Amino acid sequence: MTTETVVRLDEVRKEYGETAALDGVSLTIRRGEAVAVMGPSGCGKSTLLNMIAGLDRPTAGEVHVHGERLDLMNETKLALFRRHHLGMIFQFFNLLDDLSALDNVALAAQLTGSSAATARRRALELFDELGIAGRRDVYPAALSGGERQRVAVARALMNRPALLLADEPTGALDSKAGEQVMDLLIDLNQIGQTLLIVTHDERLAHRCASRLVELADGRIARESTLDRV
Amino acid sequence: MSAVWATARAAVRRRKLQTFVIGLVALFCTATVVVSLALLDAMSAPFDRAFAQQRGPHAVAAYDPAKVTDAQLTAARDGVAAVAGPFAQATVEGTGTDGPMFQGPLALTGRADPGGEVDRLDLWRGRWVSAPGEIVLAAIPEDETSFRLGPMSEVRTVTADGVPLTVVGWAYSVSATADGWVTPEQAVALKPSAVQMLYRFTGDVSTREAVQQRLTGVATGLPGGALLAAQPYHVVKEEAAETAGVYLPFLGTFGILGLLVAVIIVGNVVSGAVISGFRHIGVLKSLGFTPRQVVAVYLTMVTVPASAGAVLGTALGVAGANPLLNETFQGMGYGQDTGVQPWVWVAGLLGVPALVLLAALLPALRAHRLSAAAAISAGSAPRRGRGLRVQRALGGTRLPRSVSLGLGLPFARPGRTALTLASLLLGVTTVTFTAGLTDSLLEVSRIDAEAGGDVGVRPERFEGPNRDRTSSTRTDQEVEALLRSTPGAAKVGASRGRTVPALGQSEPVHVNFIRGDTAAMGYQKQLLEGRWLDGADEVVASAELLNKRGLKVGDTLTLEIAEVRTTVTIVGETVQGLPGPGAGLFASWRDLGEGDPFEFYYQVELAEGADLEGYMAAVRAADPGLTVWDNSDTTDVAVVVTGFSTVLAVLLAMVAALGVLNTVALNVQDRRRDLGMLKSIGMTPRQVIAMLITSMAALGVIGGLIGIPFGMAAHRLVVPLAAEAAKVTFPDYVMEIWDPVTLLLMVVSGVLIAIVGALLPARSAARLSIARVLHNE
Repeated sequence: MTTETVVRLDEVRKEYGETAALDGVSLTIRRGEAVAVMGPSGCGKSTLLNMIAGLDRPTAGEVHVHGERLDLMNETKLALFRRHHLGMIFQFFNLLDDLSALDNVALAAQLTGSSAATARRRALELFDELGIAGRRDVYPAALSGGERQRVAVARALMNRPALLLADEPTGALDSKAGEQVMDLLIDLNQIGQTLLIVTHDERLAHRCASRLVELADGRIARESTLDRV
Repeated sequence: MSAVWATARAAVRRRKLQTFVIGLVALFCTATVVVSLALLDAMSAPFDRAFAQQRGPHAVAAYDPAKVTDAQLTAARDGVAAVAGPFAQATVEGTGTDGPMFQGPLALTGRADPGGEVDRLDLWRGRWVSAPGEIVLAAIPEDETSFRLGPMSEVRTVTADGVPLTVVGWAYSVSATADGWVTPEQAVALKPSAVQMLYRFTGDVSTREAVQQRLTGVATGLPGGALLAAQPYHVVKEEAAETAGVYLPFLGTFGILGLLVAVIIVGNVVSGAVISGFRHIGVLKSLGFTPRQVVAVYLTMVTVPASAGAVLGTALGVAGANPLLNETFQGMGYGQDTGVQPWVWVAGLLGVPALVLLAALLPALRAHRLSAAAAISAGSAPRRGRGLRVQRALGGTRLPRSVSLGLGLPFARPGRTALTLASLLLGVTTVTFTAGLTDSLLEVSRIDAEAGGDVGVRPERFEGPNRDRTSSTRTDQEVEALLRSTPGAAKVGASRGRTVPALGQSEPVHVNFIRGDTAAMGYQKQLLEGRWLDGADEVVASAELLNKRGLKVGDTLTLEIAEVRTTVTIVGETVQGLPGPGAGLFASWRDLGEGDPFEFYYQVELAEGADLEGYMAAVRAADPGLTVWDNSDTTDVAVVVTGFSTVLAVLLAMVAALGVLNTVALNVQDRRRDLGMLKSIGMTPRQVIAMLITSMAALGVIGGLIGIPFGMAAHRLVVPLAAEAAKVTFPDYVMEIWDPVTLLLMVVSGVLIAIVGALLPARSAARLSIARVLHNE
């Protein structure tokens, strides 16, 4: 693991009206780390993820990701930044129903300007790596939950992101599919992919993360290093 | 407050965009429908309404005062519901002493007041006659500006058989019962040749024969031969229908297009709103709402904005239709009865909300049948994709991905796409039809303007005690020379018109003997058939004259010109004739000796850039005895039809754009999650806008390509119908106005309508908060 900083949050505060969802959070994630963020509902986990993904802006504080200050970027720059440096997976997969699994994945590269052929080649590599090559032409509605999440992971990895953000990645999966996704995340981290996982699932955190950040009332209540199970 | 109302109100507040769109579409649809219905209504029976309002006579009868007394006429009321008269009627040789009007016989009627039981005159200017020596002239109503600028304002006295009469007012009779009205005493002094009776009959008067039977009944008790002549109202009605017939094809087309667009858009908007609200419906059912209550909530939710839109739309439609109707029908004399009729108000206020309800009912009934769980899942469960092959093919193209995704979007909701395409198609059809119509009318106007020259000039003979202008003393050559020498003139044509007997023809023919540049001022160029005249025994006739007389190129006519029989051959047919009775024939100039100055007419074409007003002022200053007027105006029909068309086309295009706006808004609503995901993986706001606009622009192109032939077909059908009604013939090039650039512009119009409609919701989609969308699962 290198010591290069991928994420740095300095005293980040986010208010929604009178309520502070985040209250002075400072956090650093280094390249190759797998960090899990846990906490009860409403503690600010999703808000923290949104700040790091550039999906929302802090009321105060600074958000640095991959050397760029996201809180100062406009929407277009944020989109371009996400496109090139971030990958995201969600609890409900968020695949486009109208596109085949392969085209869903290729889409991420095509948005960067890659040709359809190049994007599909890269997507096929990922399908092979993730063990879903046989499902490339299937549409999302016909995929199992686990398969959909694998496709979502493939899409997130398409542009070789500096940081992979996972928001409850096993939340909508049965235990078997959840296990498979966990294995996949571990494998990815082991080959150097930086991970930030937001979850309620302690098992997921303990299996996949090397560090646990616990939030309570918008603040970091505790940080701890984990020994992967 | 009932649960249904409270829930519907909350839903209206929550769905601000949909509520706004429904309200706005209802507003524009209602406005379009109201304008269309008002026009269709006005066109259906403008004469009938004006006739009923004025209580027009079913028959205008002229009796011989030598054979029947006023008392006998008053007593003869068999089958008569109402009567006006007896009015002494004198046919006099009238001359307008102060202007170009009233040359020839005038039928003057002695009448004490303009009201009464029959033929209630519209005294639209001045006052009624109160003493001998006064006259009220008959004319179609004009507004203040038109009157002031027109030739009527110059007519202050009329000489009737040498008796000077002061013009004190202007009145209009839809039944054309007289050319002017004087006091009964004055009529007697003018030695009346007839007594006029105006009858309204009981029973059937629907045909000429029925009216004739009623007249026979009235005349039964009168001395034989007392009835000199009688005219049933059908004669005037048919003449009026001829004029109105010019407008009917245009207005009917727009009315039908408007209603079609309204139905499609409303259906699209409301169905979309209900379908996108399935999840909401499911939630209500799970809370304990009965299926009927759910349907009631939904119908209330869409009826509220629809009703508000209908109220505003009706007001807007009425506000828009009234001036259009007045503008159009005042020119025909129906201005006093061209307001929007009450039934059109009612149709506007109730029709569109009813249509909205109907359109909402079908999808709402679908929700009525669904279980709560199924309704919820219908709105939120992952869908099986649609148009998958197309999406896959597009994904493999070289197009930017935002564009290829946009091109695939319409395939995801084929029903919605079909309705949107239909509204775009109708929008383009309307624009194409309007463009074609305008181009054709401009071409006709150009022909008219080219043939008419820029300036018309006529020498006048000013007489009577009130004259304040001196008659021109110049000979016709001197007048022509003056017009040529006045700076600004490029071409000057002179003509001398004379109505001459034609052997074998029931009516005399008006012949214009021309010299100078007359032929070169458009007439020769506008030959529809044959060639220009070359010699004293050749004439050229206007299409109108040939159509009315049943003549054709190659026919010969034997005319009695200056008491000499002359056989002439019709060698050519022109679009336009010279101003004058029956458009007339063109013949080469010949010396006809002394004549009335009014026979001479000059038209001047000015050099490019010349000052029209300056030229006219210079001619007037050089010879105050010449009446000079601007001949360069576009024709009334062209102005009215172009005005109507443009307003309606803009309205319909806006409605079509609203349909697009609604579709994109619904698509964005349906695809919030997808949009959030796309933004999360790096789609920029500009790409989001490009994707959504592309989705509609593609439909705009298709709508354009399909709509253009429809618009062209409507143009090809409607313009000749109007021409036929007007008894004119257009050269082919009036219809051949389509060129590749124009057609391309029509396609662009479809794309523009699509882009304008899509832009607002696309921008709103670009600003969607990803965090909110993706975490609101």
